[in-house]
Amino acid sequence: MRLESQAPRGDDATRRGLGQLALRFRVSGVVLFLVLLCVAFALLRPAFMTPGNLNAIISNAAILAIVAAAQAVVLITRNLDVSVGSMMGFAAYLTADFAAHHPGVGGALLLMPLLIGGALGAINGLLVAYGQVSPLIATLGTMSIYRGLTYVYAHGQEITSSRLPHWMNELPDMRIAGVPVLVLIAAALVCLLAAFLNFYSLGRRMYAIGSNVSASAFFGLRTKRIVLFAYTLGGVLCGLAGFLYAARVGTVTVVLASGWELTSLAAAVIGGVSVAGGSGNVIGAALGAVVLATIDNGLVLLGIPEFWRMFVQGSAIVLAATADVLIATQVRHSLRARRRLARTWS
Amino acid sequence: MKLHTILLSGAGAILALGLAASGACAKDSGFKIMMTPKWTGFPYFEAAAKGGREAAAELGDQFVYAGADHADVSLQVETLQNFLNQKPDAIELAAIDLNAVAPVLKQARKRGIVVTTFDADAAQDARDMFVNQLSYKQAAKTMLDCALIDAPQGGEIAFVAASPTAPNHMAHIKYMKEYIKDDPKYQVFKVVDTQYAGDDDAKSYDVAVNLMQAHPNLKVIISSSAVSAPAGARAIEASGHVGKVFSTGFALPSAIKSYLKDGSEKCFALWDPQELGYLATYATHLKLAGKLDLKPGTKFTAGKAGEYTVGDNGEIVYGKALMFTKDNVDKFNF
Amino acid sequence: MIRRLPQWDLTLIALTIAAGAWSAYLSPYYLNIDQIAESTRQFVYPGILALGLAVVVILGEIDISLASTLAFGAVLFSKFSAFGAPLWVATPLVVAACAALGALNGVLVARLGLPSLAVTLGTMGAFRGLAFILGSEMGYTDFNDRYLFVGSEQAFGPVPASFVLFLAVAIGIGALTHWTVFGRRCYAIGLNKEASWAAGIDVARLKTQAYALAGALAGVAALVWIGQYGSARGDNADGAILFVVTAVVLGGVDINGGRGGILGVVLALFLLGTMRNGMGLANVPGPTQTIVLGALLIVGVLRPVIVQGLARVRRLAFSQPAVSSD
Repeated sequence: MRLESQAPRGDDATRRGLGQLALRFRVSGVVLFLVLLCVAFALLRPAFMTPGNLNAIISNAAILAIVAAAQAVVLITRNLDVSVGSMMGFAAYLTADFAAHHPGVGGALLLMPLLIGGALGAINGLLVAYGQVSPLIATLGTMSIYRGLTYVYAHGQEITSSRLPHWMNELPDMRIAGVPVLVLIAAALVCLLAAFLNFYSLGRRMYAIGSNVSASAFFGLRTKRIVLFAYTLGGVLCGLAGFLYAARVGTVTVVLASGWELTSLAAAVIGGVSVAGGSGNVIGAALGAVVLATIDNGLVLLGIPEFWRMFVQGSAIVLAATADVLIATQVRHSLRARRRLARTWS
Repeated sequence: MKLHTILLSGAGAILALGLAASGACAKDSGFKIMMTPKWTGFPYFEAAAKGGREAAAELGDQFVYAGADHADVSLQVETLQNFLNQKPDAIELAAIDLNAVAPVLKQARKRGIVVTTFDADAAQDARDMFVNQLSYKQAAKTMLDCALIDAPQGGEIAFVAASPTAPNHMAHIKYMKEYIKDDPKYQVFKVVDTQYAGDDDAKSYDVAVNLMQAHPNLKVIISSSAVSAPAGARAIEASGHVGKVFSTGFALPSAIKSYLKDGSEKCFALWDPQELGYLATYATHLKLAGKLDLKPGTKFTAGKAGEYTVGDNGEIVYGKALMFTKDNVDKFNF
Repeated sequence: MIRRLPQWDLTLIALTIAAGAWSAYLSPYYLNIDQIAESTRQFVYPGILALGLAVVVILGEIDISLASTLAFGAVLFSKFSAFGAPLWVATPLVVAACAALGALNGVLVARLGLPSLAVTLGTMGAFRGLAFILGSEMGYTDFNDRYLFVGSEQAFGPVPASFVLFLAVAIGIGALTHWTVFGRRCYAIGLNKEASWAAGIDVARLKTQAYALAGALAGVAALVWIGQYGSARGDNADGAILFVVTAVVLGGVDINGGRGGILGVVLALFLLGTMRNGMGLANVPGPTQTIVLGALLIVGVLRPVIVQGLARVRRLAFSQPAVSSD
């Protein structure tokens, strides 16, 4: 199935095909979905399409996009991480607490959540890659442990925005050319990640492992190390996301981001990242986050009762997954047909 | 030696007197009171526990505070069941779901345990008394008064609650709508939307952003949830709507201090959760010692919290609303 | 590999006894027949969900929408109760409706070939949304006493009726997985889906049936829920699914399918139940309990790795005594 993307080099007809592109980037499903959603909402409520509203949507989606990308990185290697929310909370709380006790700390503060997130992610990676623990179990366990440790550290306190450094509170509000800094950071990160995964050998190796672990091992790839790297990278991203969350919302509580594990998974799934590993893209995951934010925004705009929101979101996930699989199947069939055709003529 | 004997016999006499006295009248101290919040780790409930501990220490009772780390109905019931098995004299709780806890609370009452609810009530026949911070009407009025300070000319307002199944928040909204309809002072407001944010910071923030987009003429966002009000203030600042839209409602002073100070917000409200916990525990102790009759109209003094009157259905209203503005927010340290 | 199964079950039994001893040490209130019997109540509804989930996991799939199906079932029960229908009419209808929801999951996974985690992630929200839409804001509490029987009454002495129900369901599902053709085929599919298909097993139909079974059990769990908590609302059992998954994996059921058994799941539930009960009675703070349970999960699963590592160290230590260590 995934061999399709490695079509023989000389086969120009297939390589040029749009289907090839779609399969490579796997974002066609979510892009289509997003466009349909926007058109539907815009028709029902023209106020949806205003720059202010669109700005609001991508601002709301920014942090989730980063976490969805982190989840995607791990998913691509055929693993998953349900401790992302707890990692965000732990990193955010410790950093905020440190900042509250050391006023006047500068941008170096940013190192803290990255290091903490990376360390937590590395622990996950060690358990999964070297401890041979199933990723669901390992991260289910660490999810509880990290959240519990945050509690024990916090002693029932929350950190309010007034105790955070000024620049941290200002950061998310700043705009460059009308676009919030938060969105720019998220977009830049996601693009860098996408480039890394597609054009760097380490990135491509992650896809390989996700596709077929044993084959990769036979091929000589250091699967364990790469999986460890994937989890660590995911952890670093979560640490950053936690920091940005704290900067954005202002109050840092112990339950920060609890529940984000499922939301990030949902965003990644909607974005076409396969939970079986080996395919999908961080850009798709980020767009999946945008889809969720769009649904939320649209429902408020249309005044649809809260009860329906959960139903709509859940259905959206199922529809997105279905659309993605249907498109992929179609693409595969068309590729196979074209190849067969090309072969009969050669 | 003589002094020794005198002292010993003196001590013995006092001891005997004490024993006789305690045997003669009912026990009035040394009770075991157990408290569980909606979830631990939230400063609001930690403050209530602090107040409870204070009252218990003052009255010579044993105080235990325990609970789950997130708001989960079955975990709260499990905690209450575990409390039951530790044979306390009284149980205090802030109920997540007023009906789900009813069976275990009724079991407790059957065993003679006094059940007190505070902050969020349980089913009326499942508890002895409910220490309500503010009556729902008072809560509604206070929030509207804050909104008036924010927008004296009135305008469009929206409500943010935890969920459609949160009884106190829904009651607040019901009464706020009634006041807006009937009371001329509040008729300047027009309710345009009600949204739910599940007591979650990020969700509250996003909801506030979406509300401002959906209703361009929105003036005030009123949040019953102490998590949503500060998040809303933040969203207003971040999206550049300072001065055009205001966030108000219930919030911990520490969480909204910076917004009051920098002028982006003008007024929030709450009550002292520590004193609330103190009052609940004090009243519970009095009931245990047989010194509190829960008939409507009974007056009693709860230590340094002051005098209170029992209302209908065992409800004791704490009633001391606090409105935080730039001028007085520094006085509070919770 | 199959030999590992009884060994893990033995480990669980040993751990449960150890947990019981530790709980007795932590709190003087623990060692009391009535108390222990009552405490089983807390784990009946997640336990029934876990039994259903176990069958799906053995197949090599997963279902995280079961708690939402429970909420839907509870709300549906409330409708029947409000209508005045007798329990023996309501129960099969509600269970059937929940089985239908499960079957929907099954069709999406088995016939459309969608990844089960993604699908059930979606239906988790969709089913709960349905429960909210169907139910009322305040939730329904005015249940006919008959409806409340299973969740609230006691059957034999101090043993709760719901616990008896749980044991019955466990025995039933255990028999289903170990002694019937259905069960054997589930294991086969979990071990090697393609080979099973090649061998003539209707994989899609079996998967749909397993999902429907899990859904039906969620309906049964809903009956226990309303008896225990007396309330039916859209947010019932919200978040319970993580505990259910923990119980299943701690019970030794391989998340990739094909291995593990019902006995392990039941034992894991006892272990988790004993630990939570003991810690709760000693008023151990919630966060600490969470850490302990998380650590237990990881250590439990790491055990074979630790054992292997120790064996390797032992082998190294004894094999070359002449070589100096560095």
